[in-house]
Amino acid sequence: MGTPTIIIAVVALLAVPVLAPTYIVHIATFVAIYTLPVIGLGFVSGFTNRISLAQGAIFGIGAYVTGLLTTKFGWSPATAFVPSVAGAVVVATALGAPAMRLAGLYFVMATIAIHQIVWTVLMNWIDVTSGPQGVRSIPSLSIGSISLDTPERYYYAALAFALTSLVLAYRIVSSRLGLHLRALSDDELAASMSGVPIFRAKVVALALSAAWAGTGGFLYAHYMRFIHPEMFTLEPSILFLTMAMFGGYRSLIGMVIATAVLESATEYLRPFGEFRMIAYGLILLFGMMFFPKGILTLVPDVRGWMARLLSAGARS
Amino acid sequence: MLAQILVGGVATGCIYAIVGLGFTLVYRSMRMVNFAQGQIFMAGTFLGLVIADHFKLPAVPLILVVGAAAFVIGLIVEKLIFRRLYHNHEVFVVGSIGLGIVLTNAIRIFFPEPVPFPKVFGTGIVTFGGAFFQISYVWVVGLTVLLVLGLHVLFAYTKIGRGLRAVAADTEMAGAVGVDVRKSIAQTFGLSFAVAAIAGVLIGPLYFVSFDMGDMIGLKAFSAAVFGGINSIPGTIMGGVIIGLLENLAGGYVSSSYKDLVAFVILLLTLLVRPNGLLGSETPVKV
Repeated sequence: MGTPTIIIAVVALLAVPVLAPTYIVHIATFVAIYTLPVIGLGFVSGFTNRISLAQGAIFGIGAYVTGLLTTKFGWSPATAFVPSVAGAVVVATALGAPAMRLAGLYFVMATIAIHQIVWTVLMNWIDVTSGPQGVRSIPSLSIGSISLDTPERYYYAALAFALTSLVLAYRIVSSRLGLHLRALSDDELAASMSGVPIFRAKVVALALSAAWAGTGGFLYAHYMRFIHPEMFTLEPSILFLTMAMFGGYRSLIGMVIATAVLESATEYLRPFGEFRMIAYGLILLFGMMFFPKGILTLVPDVRGWMARLLSAGARS
Repeated sequence: MLAQILVGGVATGCIYAIVGLGFTLVYRSMRMVNFAQGQIFMAGTFLGLVIADHFKLPAVPLILVVGAAAFVIGLIVEKLIFRRLYHNHEVFVVGSIGLGIVLTNAIRIFFPEPVPFPKVFGTGIVTFGGAFFQISYVWVVGLTVLLVLGLHVLFAYTKIGRGLRAVAADTEMAGAVGVDVRKSIAQTFGLSFAVAAIAGVLIGPLYFVSFDMGDMIGLKAFSAAVFGGINSIPGTIMGGVIIGLLENLAGGYVSSSYKDLVAFVILLLTLLVRPNGLLGSETPVKV
């Protein structure tokens, strides 16, 4: 992407709250928030070939740490940011690092166990997490004396976080660590023979993925102002995984687009109640049945199809 | 107290074992995990409910009819859906999760509230070693034993079973020596649907049935299958019963709120320490 494209994209993103109705801004805020855990998943899935179903739980830890610190201990959201990211990283590495030795389906199984363990603790450790009551009246983010309590204002905060995280992710992927990770994803054995510290690289990828998820959870908690264990079931994990998968893990922009498309699609289906979930399930099922390599594989097809059409038109 | 806990644990464990068998059967043949198994179990329970309400069948014919119907549905679903998901395990994982979401919410439209299941096993109370429990528990345990014996006979002495075992051992070789691999895989799914639906009829009379009952039981049954060895049928049965017992013991003596943690801690520890499970034999890819 050239510089002009980036400038146009950023200007368009900045203009959303000015031009669009609140409901669209609300959805756009969610897209910006979800971009973080999805990019995070890209570190683990794109570079170590391990798909995780625990991302929703790690996202939940980020949300719970800040939610509890700001409501029960009176911390300000700004000071709760670092503990919230750190909490996500510590839990993910403590439970997940040993599991990074497992590959393929066995890793998926381990992340399901991790997910359920975190969820059960959130639900049942009532003294700390308030369990099924959830955490209420979480303060919104604020800059100086301006509270970001409208979707329009919060959108800019979420967008700033999303864009910063995107730039950071680009920097990491093109750094030495990124090189190690790419080598690792092509062939673990060959990478280890070439002197890549595989296990360390894998654990760093996991920690990065958790840091991104924790930041997403932090933003989510201060936007929703209310969190509950039911928000962090396997469902968001599946959603994040699908977004990353449809976007094709290694393409940061692909993942952002997939997040935007899937989030708005499922949001527009909301009035249909149960039918919304059926449609969502069908999107997953048909997506996998007919486009096993990701929805974005359609794009070159469209291009090829257009080219054929044009050349056919030229011949006649 | 202890006897009560043990009896309850064995009965719950039997349900985990049977639902877990669904995961094991598919995994043995396909090296894939069907994450819709819990929801298939739930849908099977409702299939049992509808059949029991319409035809007022006694317990044994009901189980046979529901099992047969689920087997046929399994064959059809394999042909229409699963067959298109065999690319790799990621596709299968997400696709089967999608199918699970569709099943849950489709049933939810018809049965939004929990409903009672007809008491097909009667309402008697049995005493055993100082513990009182419903007669249904005896049926659950007894029928689990019968089902396992039935599966053993099927796998050991019938042509279909030999085909299934051959495919599970080595798909390519099985095809080379004349086993119809496609048909065997379809039958595997049929069988996994049938055992899930039978588990549904067994657990139905014990509790109310609801559209979300498959989520937790499915994941715990999956833990049981991995713990016992996801490619081993005896392992899965053992894993189910052990997890059922431990869970009930933890619920009785430690804390009822952390009861649900038992299965998942066991799952994680199994994967880290002995990924092929208690009785499994395959070596997973480790780097």
